[in-house]
Amino acid sequence: MSKQVPETIKKQVKRSFNSKEVKKEKNEKRMKLLKEIQTKAFKRAEKYEKEYLEQEQKLVELKQQALKEGSFYREPEPKLAFIIRIRGIVGVPPKPRKILQLLRLRRIYSGVFIRLNKSSLRMLHFIDPYVTWGYPDVETVRALIYKRGHARVNHQRKIIDSNEMIYDKLQKFDIVCMEDLVHEIYTVGKNFKHANSFLWAFKLKPPVGGFSTVKKSFVNKGEHGNREQYINTLVKKMI
Amino acid sequence: MTTQQLRPIVSVFPIKGKVKTIKQVPLPSVFSAPIRPDVVRFVHTNMAKNNRQAHAVSTTAGEQTSATSWGTGRAVARIPRVKGSGTGRSGQAAFGNMCRGGRMYAPKKVWRKWHRKINTNQKRYAVCSAIAATAVTPLVMSRGHRVNKLPELPLVVSDQLQSLTKTRQAVKFLKFIGAYRDVEKVIRTKKTRVGQGKYRNRRHVLRKGPMVVYARNLGIKKAFRNIPGVETASVYTLNLLKLAPGSQMGRFIIWTESAFKLLEDIYGSWEKPSKFKSGFYLPRPVMVNTDVERIIKSDQVQTVLRNRRPRSRKYGKKIQRADPYEDMSVMVKLNPYYKTKLQKQKELDEKNKKERKEIVDKSRKEYEDWLYFSEEEEEEEEEGSDEDREIEVLSDEN
Repeated sequence: MSKQVPETIKKQVKRSFNSKEVKKEKNEKRMKLLKEIQTKAFKRAEKYEKEYLEQEQKLVELKQQALKEGSFYREPEPKLAFIIRIRGIVGVPPKPRKILQLLRLRRIYSGVFIRLNKSSLRMLHFIDPYVTWGYPDVETVRALIYKRGHARVNHQRKIIDSNEMIYDKLQKFDIVCMEDLVHEIYTVGKNFKHANSFLWAFKLKPPVGGFSTVKKSFVNKGEHGNREQYINTLVKKMI
Repeated sequence: MTTQQLRPIVSVFPIKGKVKTIKQVPLPSVFSAPIRPDVVRFVHTNMAKNNRQAHAVSTTAGEQTSATSWGTGRAVARIPRVKGSGTGRSGQAAFGNMCRGGRMYAPKKVWRKWHRKINTNQKRYAVCSAIAATAVTPLVMSRGHRVNKLPELPLVVSDQLQSLTKTRQAVKFLKFIGAYRDVEKVIRTKKTRVGQGKYRNRRHVLRKGPMVVYARNLGIKKAFRNIPGVETASVYTLNLLKLAPGSQMGRFIIWTESAFKLLEDIYGSWEKPSKFKSGFYLPRPVMVNTDVERIIKSDQVQTVLRNRRPRSRKYGKKIQRADPYEDMSVMVKLNPYYKTKLQKQKELDEKNKKERKEIVDKSRKEYEDWLYFSEEEEEEEEEGSDEDREIEVLSDEN
């Protein structure tokens, strides 16, 4: 004598969001999407490699040309900076404190990307004694995002462990993979704001080999303030 | 609260002969009133205060001395002490609640509020709830009544019961109908009261047995009066304290037919007001259909619900991931082009290496060539001594 299944349960199973067929269908869709993302990622990465190489070569060319003509080539001013906070939170006056908060530099050895324009340069001026900053190159940007890149997802800090994560959040800005993200940040594209806010502030380690003195500016053999291209070597020590 | 509801039927039983239905009557609307134990408890606790008698402590108790404090400097506490001498009482502490023979703290007064006002509607609500509960067998059983052998609950009996005059007849009826087990329980569990009530004319404690509700007293009151545990009541004046003794709903009630029918008039329904309680309608339940599970699982509700949001497992757990610069599989997952990139880099490196090697080899060869030629030049300078030797050879020929 078989047990009678209550009708409410039968109906529930039929209606169920988790029924086998529905799950299977969803899974197939997802697999297809993942494949699409990965093929896109491959193609775009290839494109960007070429682009970066071309940029380098172009720079060299222009410099050589200028030399030939006997004039100087003035490189375009940098658009991107990477800031690292190198002082703690005790005893910070209100204005620099607020600016550091706005830039998401809430703890020591945290780092963020920022686009350089007149307003942000003025902000950096106020917080110079508390941070060190400079112009990162592609490899630095890549290393930061790959190794220490965390996404802001549902108000949580989650490590970026797949391109699907990036696709879900940034697809509408045409950023679908890691290389897209790196490119957007490095070249400070149209959607830099969204790419940057997708990233949680980088939490770096104290530098291997230490600092000389944070109290002095970099220019004065200390550590704080603008250190232009030497930010790259510092990040290597802190990543 | 359906209009013109199809009300269930209740059987009316005879008081002797055979236990079988002689008539059927509809269930009055009161029995569908909401059963609210919270309301009943509130009303009962307040109603129960209304038959209290005032008591207090004597106003002069502990005050009938002219004690005065001795003040300081006498190595005794500053409490007022009884004046005079020549008796043990003199010098003893007086007046304080801590003193022996002193008055108590806050002496009880007769003008304490002994009685409680309860809103009429609340009282009526409680009574309706209590009556409804008497028809619910689990509630009656949980109150402790022995109702297993009853033919039906609510138990309605022919009006002939009202005309009984002898206790013997009453007992016979109770046995006939199966209610005597409850009475037996009462008899069996009669005990001496615990506490001082026993010598204050409240010696014995009895359980509550069945309650017989009648419309007209034609002798029924006296017939059931002496049976332990059994109470009688007129249907016009049902008392909550008897319907829900100890604020516990579900008294075992035996209704007479006319009393049962009168309930519809006395308590009214949701459409018709009560005939005896002016402006009173039966209390409305908050939920008409209390089977919440069934409501939730019904088609009407389920089809309108959105799908359950899946627990986003991909962002749920704290994801651990290796360093992509150390673990190639992680790197490839994030950047599928990486392997190709490395390969191209490798090829480029090799190509450059090869080119460089060629250049280096070429320049080395050039250098060696240059070296070789310079050696030859030196050798040519040394060949000058050979010419002298040629002359000597000529002279030999001569």
